[in-house]
Amino acid sequence: MMLLHLFLVVALGASAGQAPADVEQGKQLFNGMCARCHGIDGTGDEGPSLNRPTLTRAATDDALREVISDGIPDRGMPRVRRLTDNEVRQLAAYVRSLGRAAAGTTSGDAAKGRATYDKLGCAACHIIGGQGGSFGPDLTQIGVNRGPSYLRQSFLGPAEALPRGTSPIPGRGFTEYLPVRIVTGDGREVRGVRINEDPFTIQVRDSSNHFQSFRKSDTREIEKEFGKSVMPGFRGRLTDQETEDLVAFLSSLRGVK
Amino acid sequence: MRRILLGLAFGIAPIAAAAQVPAPRIVAADATPTDWLTYSGNYQSHRFSALTQINRQNVSQLKPAWIYQVRRTGIVETSPIVADGVMYITEPPSTVTALDVRSGRPLWTYTPSIPTDVIVIGSPPVNRGVAILDDTVFFGTVHGHLIALDARSGAVRWDVQVDDNKFGYYVTSAPLAIDGRIIVGVSGAEAGIRGFLDAYDPKTGRRVWRTHTVPAPGEPGSDTWSGDTWKTGGGSAWLTGSYDPALNLIYWGTGNPGPDWNGDLRPGDNLYTCSLIAISPVDGKMKWHFQFTPHDIHDWDANEIPVLFDATIDGRPRKLVAMANRNAFYYVLDRETGQFLSALPYAKQTWAERIDAKGRPVRRSGTAPSVEGTLVFPNIQGASNWPSPSYSPQTRLFYQAAREMGTYFFKGEPQYKPGEPFVAGGGRAVNGDDAWGAIRALESTTGKLKWEFKLVTPPMSGVLSTAGGLVFGGTDEGNFFALDAESGKPLWDTQLGGMIRANPMAFAVDGKEYVAIAAGYGIFVFGLP
Repeated sequence: MMLLHLFLVVALGASAGQAPADVEQGKQLFNGMCARCHGIDGTGDEGPSLNRPTLTRAATDDALREVISDGIPDRGMPRVRRLTDNEVRQLAAYVRSLGRAAAGTTSGDAAKGRATYDKLGCAACHIIGGQGGSFGPDLTQIGVNRGPSYLRQSFLGPAEALPRGTSPIPGRGFTEYLPVRIVTGDGREVRGVRINEDPFTIQVRDSSNHFQSFRKSDTREIEKEFGKSVMPGFRGRLTDQETEDLVAFLSSLRGVK
Repeated sequence: MRRILLGLAFGIAPIAAAAQVPAPRIVAADATPTDWLTYSGNYQSHRFSALTQINRQNVSQLKPAWIYQVRRTGIVETSPIVADGVMYITEPPSTVTALDVRSGRPLWTYTPSIPTDVIVIGSPPVNRGVAILDDTVFFGTVHGHLIALDARSGAVRWDVQVDDNKFGYYVTSAPLAIDGRIIVGVSGAEAGIRGFLDAYDPKTGRRVWRTHTVPAPGEPGSDTWSGDTWKTGGGSAWLTGSYDPALNLIYWGTGNPGPDWNGDLRPGDNLYTCSLIAISPVDGKMKWHFQFTPHDIHDWDANEIPVLFDATIDGRPRKLVAMANRNAFYYVLDRETGQFLSALPYAKQTWAERIDAKGRPVRRSGTAPSVEGTLVFPNIQGASNWPSPSYSPQTRLFYQAAREMGTYFFKGEPQYKPGEPFVAGGGRAVNGDDAWGAIRALESTTGKLKWEFKLVTPPMSGVLSTAGGLVFGGTDEGNFFALDAESGKPLWDTQLGGMIRANPMAFAVDGKEYVAIAAGYGIFVFGLP
């Protein structure tokens, strides 16, 4: 049993190029050279975050090693040429491990989850494959971008897990789908979620899914409701099995085929 | 005959329009606000325009006059120079372009041959502007060269290697041109360089002196380093300094020690990193230094623009130099002696209990980078950075784009390899809705807050103040705006459609005032209709 377990670890490690020792070595290299721009744990800073399952410029391990060795000079990513091939491999193994961290697993049944999704009426606010409402995030490839742990949290207690900085808009670590309450100059109250903002203007999607744009100087009040979500939470309203089935369904969403 | 005369007149015009900028003209820059002859507008680095045509009453009518889009990708951080009808800008990473200020049409452009394996560690591959002296334009490159171009044609007069890019030396800042000297500093502390400031002969490109910012064994200050750590000690002089022609001293800020976030190998104050140094332009000798952050471990370079002005403090007229430091304190020093006069925080900081009577910070415990991460304010890029402040001799206020943001600082293991990052750690910025910024007006002699205008994100755009009673600034979201210089009230704003990471400036041509700033991939020039 022990042998089999070891074999599995080695086999998995080899396929992904990441034995635990490599990952640990890679982490040392990363913290010394890369964290300044990409953040510790690859959470992003001046450079993009790397703690995602899919890296757009480095979809494959070869591509990732190439980006490390050749850099992206016009975007400020320096080439790293003096590492040995082994060190580049270790660095790549660590970067890959970031995208898998805390992903979690699920034992649910995706087909049954689909039924739960329909029963709860999720499609009123979410798009899958171009179909559904656009008030909430598009879920077409949510299984690529989010692991099971996050997905479970997102519908059990959505206010505890509002996404931050995953979308180019509003970007830079801003809370996405932030509920806002705006009182206009003539006393009208508008509720919705923030789409974007600058010091002079704010753009919101109101509760009937219409864009509204305001000059801040024309409003009486702008309240940002941090810690809240416009999405209903389903904690206590689903059985454990329904929860896992829904996680399995969402995890299975991996883009338009 | 008339036609011939006209032809002659037109034939002569381009020559008359070509830049002839002797040093005395730059010394007297305040007297000719139609031009913008040096990086920060004058040698005192006021980034103030004495032009009054655009003012509080009419700024709301500003309209684009012309827009120039750069031909290259990258972040456009250039601060334009305007002389005799020509605007000189840089495009990333190391291109110089001359534009007709009336139309925005390019007159010439010059791009050096940059090796594809150029090493740029510590910042994006950018350029922040040129210097002009007589009829020559000077600029630095990401491959570590200083190049002199004929201002009329862009033809190369000379091209010298400041230092070897293989070790991570590169140049992003605009040189400072003074009588008989082109002063330029280098970037590269994140690659473990040993920093310096150089002076070159404007005519020949011959290096006249080099003053290292990190002393070698035996030199004054070398007891603040141990072993060989001085060799990779950093202290880049990566932003343009200031000059007092009367005292004949240049003032230059220096950057972080290397490696950035792990100071264990370099016990001591690590002079002259994170300091302001006053240097004679004649021979490069240091007259005095003041270190803001001894033994820095947060990457709080002190390269911010030193602003020179005179004022009376405690009944005594003083020649002063002020800096809104990246470490979140606003410092006022006597610029003749380097004597510390005062320091006040201008943004949130959690690292120092106080600044003592000599100007030395008393650090709070538990603020050093750690393996598990230590939350400290200000953030890794600082409460300020390279974007310029402005000083208005009218309001006597110091305008600063302040960055309100914390960072979890992490400590890593240093590992020096030539031409590789040498930083030993990093940070995770607390960004998004947990960070913000403000344009702040500070009393110049004390740093006391007079007013602020809040921004949604920590700004990386500089500010310009004008005799029209205005302060111009920009945002990451692409807003270019004007505030009332007395009250901070917003008077005008527009959306330029790209991140603003540049400094505004002003000039006039044909009797009309214009304000210019880079945003996204463009240079935007605004005037009254």
